[in-house]
Amino acid sequence: MKTIVLGLGNTILSDDGAGIYVARALMGRLGGAADVREAELAGLDLIEMLNGYDRAFIVDAIQLDGEEPGAVFRMRPDDIRTTPRLASFHDIDMITALALGRRLQFHMPEEVVIFGVQAEDTLTLGEQCTEAVKRVIPILADEIAGEISGAPHRKISIGLSERRNTGA
Amino acid sequence: MASGKAVDAVYKAKIPAAAAKLRELYYMAHFIHSHTAHFYALAAPDFVVGPDAPPAERNILGLVNKVGIDIGREVIRQREISQIIQQMIGGRATHPVWNLPGGVTRALAREDRDSIKKFAPGLVGFGEFGLKLFDDIVLKNKAYLDLILGDGYELVTNYMGLVDDKNRVTFYDGTVRVVDPDGKEIDRYRESEYLDHVAEHVEPYTYLKFPYLKKLGWQGFKEGKGTSLYQAAPLARFNAADGMATPKAQAAYEKMFATFGGKPVHKLMAMHWARLIEILYAAERLVELVADEEILDPNVRVIPSATPSEGVGIIEAPRGTLTHHYVTDARGIVTKANLIVGTTNNNAPISMAVKKAAMKFIGKGGEVKEGLLNMVEMAFRIYDPCFSCATHSLPGHMPLTIEIKNASGETVRTVSR
Repeated sequence: MKTIVLGLGNTILSDDGAGIYVARALMGRLGGAADVREAELAGLDLIEMLNGYDRAFIVDAIQLDGEEPGAVFRMRPDDIRTTPRLASFHDIDMITALALGRRLQFHMPEEVVIFGVQAEDTLTLGEQCTEAVKRVIPILADEIAGEISGAPHRKISIGLSERRNTGA
Repeated sequence: MASGKAVDAVYKAKIPAAAAKLRELYYMAHFIHSHTAHFYALAAPDFVVGPDAPPAERNILGLVNKVGIDIGREVIRQREISQIIQQMIGGRATHPVWNLPGGVTRALAREDRDSIKKFAPGLVGFGEFGLKLFDDIVLKNKAYLDLILGDGYELVTNYMGLVDDKNRVTFYDGTVRVVDPDGKEIDRYRESEYLDHVAEHVEPYTYLKFPYLKKLGWQGFKEGKGTSLYQAAPLARFNAADGMATPKAQAAYEKMFATFGGKPVHKLMAMHWARLIEILYAAERLVELVADEEILDPNVRVIPSATPSEGVGIIEAPRGTLTHHYVTDARGIVTKANLIVGTTNNNAPISMAVKKAAMKFIGKGGEVKEGLLNMVEMAFRIYDPCFSCATHSLPGHMPLTIEIKNASGETVRTVSR
């Protein structure tokens, strides 16, 4: 199964770089089991980035009401409107990108898993994450590496349905 | 790019010629990518699928169903190439950390230059293809042509754009020129002079300001000759200039104005046509720049030696004239900043265009259909697909509501998404 790990974010806006830092933590670690890429935007770019893969793990920062910084949520494309980058204002959203890629007969992944890392601060200019987010980056990298290799691994992510606070 | 020019000015640095050419080369690729997403993904479905088609069909998937898979793949491919070119030059396609006071961080490698040279003709072909598509699908369709030439999308203001020394459209560097609704030049300024020429009006209901021409004074939301409002976007650039600096774009520019019977053009839907011509211009200019041997010059930065203080940078962003103004302390730490971004220039015109479209398409006593929402939204999308989308609330709802009132001011019908 051809797999890609895609870290999304902006590394000059504090926790907005979380996805990219997770991708960097995995670079050179997965051998031939998966490719690792980082990107600043999603939208139409997703078609080119995901083309040719059977499975994709996408990591991005997220800001859900009432959640603790550093919480990690495991989502499917249907949930993506919760991450600003994947529901881009400047471009098409992820569901549309996947559908468009398939319509244009590109090989788009059948399995897409999105990890959203709850950010504390995505507005302050800074080239590192806040402490709470920094702590979970290696743990989430371990979880993704374990899932790809099939080895036992600690799981930090939870599904959206397991949220303690729905933000309602 | 505007911030790069502004910090050059803050540090009083004159950048090497190769650095200026590299910035412009990068920027041409950026324009192609940005305009391609704007037109094909976000605006073309209005025309190609139809302005009153159901929303489920009026999107990029509906567009592909109409124009075919091969064309859809070509759009994705050429947009991807423009992103690759930006990455080759700036290290990253988006958010490059590459512009520095005095130039750029790195020279262009010969092998990257050769790759860009191979990509370039395809981009010009893509620019020509877009205009042919517009010709075949939009201009040859009477209903769409009527929409463009009709008065539903029309606004008479002044027009602003950056021009070169021959008054031709330029994106990276030049002089800001403003023409009145008759096309007569009424203002012209360099970057450092912008505060003498543009002012920003404030209304209590929004944090977005309303720029206007300072010497004419704020006159409210008024169009027509004498207004102090101006537009700054692809069509405004064309109205404010005397032509294009590349041959194929110039021919397309002349054809566009001939279709409308001369300059300036106040029909707002021409903005999309101008946008496609700008893709062609950017591609042709990219060909010129990449063929210039100086682009390989390793001298791409001067280390500034002056004490930083204050600077202004102006470029043409895809959505309009973009101004960055920074004031710093002696360490270069910003103490004051002002930005007039592309769409902000058009804040008042957008408000007026939306109102005019609503008044036109609602009509006296007429039936109000769901498609009306899109016809009104199209007036906004002409200028900026992001801003209109940015009014969505997560998770993905569009809070657009139109209230139809009778002559007594009573709401007789509400249409919303």
